Amino acid sequence: MPRILSTAGLLVVLLARVVGETTAAEVYRLRYLTAIYLDDKGGGMRQPEGVACNDRSELVVADTGKGRLLRYTVDGQDVKPAGEITAPQLSAPLRVQMSTKGDLFVLDGVQRRIFRFGAKGEPRGYLEPEGVPEPTSIVPRSLKLDRDDNIYVLDVFSARVLVLDPGGKYQRQVPFPKAYGFLSDLAVDIKGTIYLLDSVKAAVYAASKAAKEFAPLATSLRPHLSFPTSLVVDSRGILFLVDEHGSGIVLVAQDGTVLGRQLAMGWTDGLLYYPSQMCLNDKGQVFIADRGNSRVQVFSIVR
Amino acid sequence: MRLRALALTLFLALLPLLAVTAAEAQNKFRLKPGASGKICLDCHSDFADKLKSKFVHTPVKTGDCAGCHSPHASAHGKLLAASPSAICLTCHPTVVPEKALSGHKVAVEGKCVACHDPHASNNKANLRKTGNALCVSCHKTTGDEIAKVKFKHIPVSNDCLSCHNPHGSDTAAHLLKKPVPALCVECHKPDSPRFASQHVNYPVAKADCASCHNPHGSNTGGILFDTIHPPVASKRCTQCHNAAASSEPFATRRSGFELCRGCHSTMVNETLGKKRIHWPLVEKSGCLNCHEPHASRQKKLLNVAEATLCGQCHQDTVEYQARLAEKAKQEQPTSKARVVKGALTHAPIQEGSCTACHAPHAADGPRLLKNASIVDGCGACHDWLKHNSHPMGEKYVDMRNRNLSVNCLSCHRAHGTGYRYMITFPASTDLCVQCHKQLRR
Repeated sequence: MPRILSTAGLLVVLLARVVGETTAAEVYRLRYLTAIYLDDKGGGMRQPEGVACNDRSELVVADTGKGRLLRYTVDGQDVKPAGEITAPQLSAPLRVQMSTKGDLFVLDGVQRRIFRFGAKGEPRGYLEPEGVPEPTSIVPRSLKLDRDDNIYVLDVFSARVLVLDPGGKYQRQVPFPKAYGFLSDLAVDIKGTIYLLDSVKAAVYAASKAAKEFAPLATSLRPHLSFPTSLVVDSRGILFLVDEHGSGIVLVAQDGTVLGRQLAMGWTDGLLYYPSQMCLNDKGQVFIADRGNSRVQVFSIVR
Repeated sequence: MRLRALALTLFLALLPLLAVTAAEAQNKFRLKPGASGKICLDCHSDFADKLKSKFVHTPVKTGDCAGCHSPHASAHGKLLAASPSAICLTCHPTVVPEKALSGHKVAVEGKCVACHDPHASNNKANLRKTGNALCVSCHKTTGDEIAKVKFKHIPVSNDCLSCHNPHGSDTAAHLLKKPVPALCVECHKPDSPRFASQHVNYPVAKADCASCHNPHGSNTGGILFDTIHPPVASKRCTQCHNAAASSEPFATRRSGFELCRGCHSTMVNETLGKKRIHWPLVEKSGCLNCHEPHASRQKKLLNVAEATLCGQCHQDTVEYQARLAEKAKQEQPTSKARVVKGALTHAPIQEGSCTACHAPHAADGPRLLKNASIVDGCGACHDWLKHNSHPMGEKYVDMRNRNLSVNCLSCHRAHGTGYRYMITFPASTDLCVQCHKQLRR
């Protein structure tokens, strides 16, 4: 009798695993919707590296090669240009984030500082973190905002993640994990867990809201990734890793399991060529800054 | 009484027979005397000379050829009783320390015969050659360096084994008998006035000597590595470090690139003014991610050779290149076969020169390409107009994507694709019809 029970148990476990894998494989698939090539004046993008979106159907593209931000409104597959933002402080916008109020935070490649714009595109000066403990030198490689608009800065110079309140006041810091390779990006989920992306080791580290240090989530995803440089996390906690050198998107579960790889290298619509950043909105749309193809591509998440 | 005498007589009569039976039981295969070895010499007569050597392997000396060889048949070459990599370990199991921090590859792999003659030799420990001659027969580059350098490290010239353990080390890397600096201070006394003066009174007794000195000798006084950071050469340590007498003498005056900027301001400012920086440069370790602060055997004070250095982070590229190189090797035509045209890999990568195309510090364009124009960048080496009449340049729009212009990378990938001529499709027809759709069949 116990043998029958254990066999049945094993079958249940196996079935659950198969179903789980099938579900995971089916849940996330990226379907091409459209590609954005032009600004509101009909001019083309040049090597855009950053992209930010919000739940109010707004999209902002960091058109790096032309040193400007481009705004769009998104309605399903319909993406309409809504003007451009320029500023003398913005020579090479690399990464862009949008707050819940529509304020923009842009990392500039030349200044290596974060510049802020209001919701209407009005310049609001550099983000000047207040009360940051020693060392005070900061070189941001990336930034992310959480649901409360707290700002998370990936400070590669002082090897830490700085957490600032929406006004830029220091809240806390978490040191980089030991023996990391090079950290290119970070993400914050709805629970406040911070994730770090190690491009060199193709690894992800995580620190819960209360944690004082990072722990490896996935030690090495090398078989699945070439050189990932950007990371986002959706409301379910699924991590989307932008594999820049591999020109694809790799999905990773909370336990570090790889859920699959999406998209491939190429020039035609639906393919990527050295993508650099992506964002997700609440409608299940994915926007990818397809740098090598000088465009932004829009996909929907299909389950 | 008579019966007892009869029994004794019978026992004495059978005794020789019993002795023969016992002996036969011990030699059940009825081996001839010397069958485990000495008899082998009847046929292998050339071994007689070998046995006259000064040092003879114990089983050979005792005539126990069967200690290593199976006399009848074996699954291994030379009728060895076990695989060549395991046979020596049956008697010498602890040659490589169990928890070795470093191991001599040949010893770890059980290729003992690379250094030792398994039968006999005129050299101690049955070595094939004596002293450094044995080591440099494999480590030729190191041997040449040691022979040529102007300033020699005497223990190295005398014997590699002054510092290295030939099999493995359970205490240090590089087969060293002790870790650095413990090994060095056995001869070089840090408390001597001369030592202190040479090191500008910095307490270097616990520092890594090999970060400045080439232990195998060099062409620079003090056997410093040949590429020296000028402040080190002129002993101006305080240019970067706190004073020797301070509480933290080795602490640097500034962190990361900010320290280097003090002298290399033009280069650093130019780098920081570019649109895309090589991010490790502005990281915590800054310039030291790629450069040595004191001295190096590489030009430009690089930590290691360029390709190795870049490959430490860009492992994906290195692995891909290795796969392509292997493929190219496999597809290498034999002398009678048709010549296969078109490279699979880009020569500068195979030559380890990533900086032929990429700027190591910063660039305005993506992928840190030195030249903002792909056509001009490739044109620096390739006179493409001679082999190609395809329109290229900013004014020619890529038919697949209105935001792209036609350039070399529209059809080729500089890091290779696995296809000849490094094109992005298996055949040129597949490639061309991507744009020239009207020609598609």
